[in-house]
Amino acid sequence: MKRKQFIGSLLPAAFSFQALSAEIKFPEKENNSSKIPPYLKPGDTIGITATAGFITLDEIQSAVSKMKEWGFNVKVGATIGKKDFTYGGTDAERLQDFQQMLDDNSVKAIMCARGGYGCVRIIDKINFNQFKENSKWVIGFSDITVLHSHINRNCNVATIHSKMCNSFPDDWSKAEQVQIDSIDSIRKCLVGEKMIYTATANSNNKNGSATGELVGGNLRTIENLTGSDSDIHTKNKILFVEDTGEYLYSIDRMFWNLKRTGKLEKLKGLIIGGFKAKKDDPGEEFGKTIEEIVLEKITEYDYAVCFDFPVGHQKNNVALKCGVSHILTVNNSGTTLTQKN
Amino acid sequence: MIFPPYLKKGDTIGITCPAGYMIAANAQSCIATLVDWGYHVVVGKTLGSESKNYFSGTDEERASELQTMLDDKSINAILFGRGGYGMSRIIDKLNFKKFKKNPKWLIGFSDITVIHMHTYSNYKISSFHAPMAAAFNDGEDKNEFILSLKNAITGKKAKYKFATHPFNKQGSATGKLIGGNLTLLANIIGTASDYETKNCILFIEDIGEYLYSIDRLLQQLKRSGKFDKISGVIIGGFTDMKNTERPFGKTMEEIIQDVLADYDYPVCYNFPVSHAKENVALKIGATYNLLVKNKESVLVEL
Repeated sequence: MKRKQFIGSLLPAAFSFQALSAEIKFPEKENNSSKIPPYLKPGDTIGITATAGFITLDEIQSAVSKMKEWGFNVKVGATIGKKDFTYGGTDAERLQDFQQMLDDNSVKAIMCARGGYGCVRIIDKINFNQFKENSKWVIGFSDITVLHSHINRNCNVATIHSKMCNSFPDDWSKAEQVQIDSIDSIRKCLVGEKMIYTATANSNNKNGSATGELVGGNLRTIENLTGSDSDIHTKNKILFVEDTGEYLYSIDRMFWNLKRTGKLEKLKGLIIGGFKAKKDDPGEEFGKTIEEIVLEKITEYDYAVCFDFPVGHQKNNVALKCGVSHILTVNNSGTTLTQKN
Repeated sequence: MIFPPYLKKGDTIGITCPAGYMIAANAQSCIATLVDWGYHVVVGKTLGSESKNYFSGTDEERASELQTMLDDKSINAILFGRGGYGMSRIIDKLNFKKFKKNPKWLIGFSDITVIHMHTYSNYKISSFHAPMAAAFNDGEDKNEFILSLKNAITGKKAKYKFATHPFNKQGSATGKLIGGNLTLLANIIGTASDYETKNCILFIEDIGEYLYSIDRLLQQLKRSGKFDKISGVIIGGFTDMKNTERPFGKTMEEIIQDVLADYDYPVCYNFPVSHAKENVALKIGATYNLLVKNKESVLVEL
């Protein structure tokens, strides 16, 4: 112990940082805005399938009734009510149900019944050939981010990031207005209404405006797709991210992954949705807020950034069209996101 | 591969905490043991620092101290106090110019996987995946895992024999040994610390993750081609795995077996590399032979 020395005094006064630029191993394709699937007309059919976690027939009844109320027919997939531990059926069953919905020309939109975990297990086996010819809306969020990112990158078809069947309330009279509005925004997206979204101002926002294709989803899932065929392309795009139930340190690590893989570098704008973090363990206080975690990664960029956008694992979770060009305006009075065309 | 000079008595080992906070007392047994082995020990300010949050210091403090130890020729090896989380925040700020000219052993695991793979991929410099300071506590400073580190840093080639497991896939594999913590091996894909796995023997371990999350991490490695052209896989400990309310329905071993079902290279389970006591020193980038047999398996450095 006597030989233990301290090197604190050796530390150089001026410590220089050398920035290494991340090597991008998966070059980005220059995507134009995605193809828009046909908007739905009364009498069109929406298919419901479980691509990830399992759900019962009972649990989708509220969604089925509401979509019928909207004037659509509903086709319930074979995976609804199926259960293979956490999954809505085996990989083969979930794959087959989704594939069948993709290839069935009478189905004009596919709503994934719920998230959970499981899309990544079947994504590489899905055949998108017919879907590319006869595109249709694929709807969902959370684990469904796999589909959004994969379809955006490989098929160039727009998708809808929104609540799913498990978020439709059993008793609408007890539902909060933001939840009802969020669900109704799915209908608006599907019938082709031009979408306008607003969010209240956050003092951490970076003002500015941006025009670009909207992409994004669940941050954990986006990180998980890095290096795969579903890796998200963010160049010249407006990126939105959300997550829930993660420790702050883990959220920080995910944002570092975005930065170190070059995904924050050439954005037009950044939209931060809900981030309900898991409480730090005692003695492990991370000491940074979500806003600080995000802003420190993008100090060298000057694009617009907004926080508290209504997207995420929360009641206020508006339907967003991924792959479609939007205009993001962030100023002192708040945030507006407007579908461009 | 470049192998830094092995340690001789009288050489100096630096201790720094590049990630999570560690109280100084938790490194005392480690320091005493290293001194007992005949080394000088220099301790950075990040150990037992004034930091009040998760980290052992600010990014600048942690990066600066590690940079100093990397550059200081009088320091022959760096043993990281602990992991936690934090290397990803500073790795791109480190300058490896002097380290490349005068490489030294970097010793640690868990979050340290980031710098192991970074120096392996970018500079072909070997490092030690091995126990860190806390592993010397509670009278464990003479256990076989700590002794494996003692031997490794002096250049003794290791030969680890370990028990068989019903899921093992028998065979012999030779290749460069790479790997570490599964979460980090996934997190660095696509970054400047990413790694090629072709012809390598890959080892993985993790702690405290949900089973579905382990599956998702393995799917990422698989989908990004990491399992395609390797010569063998070593499965270490998966400590304190958590299950979801709706049970995942597979054990950790079954999850791995399922992911690796398409490949016919040797695979062994229960190798002593983990966040538990069982954690032997492994030389990243060195060539090893993995022999998975009926009764036992052997990993030997060639």
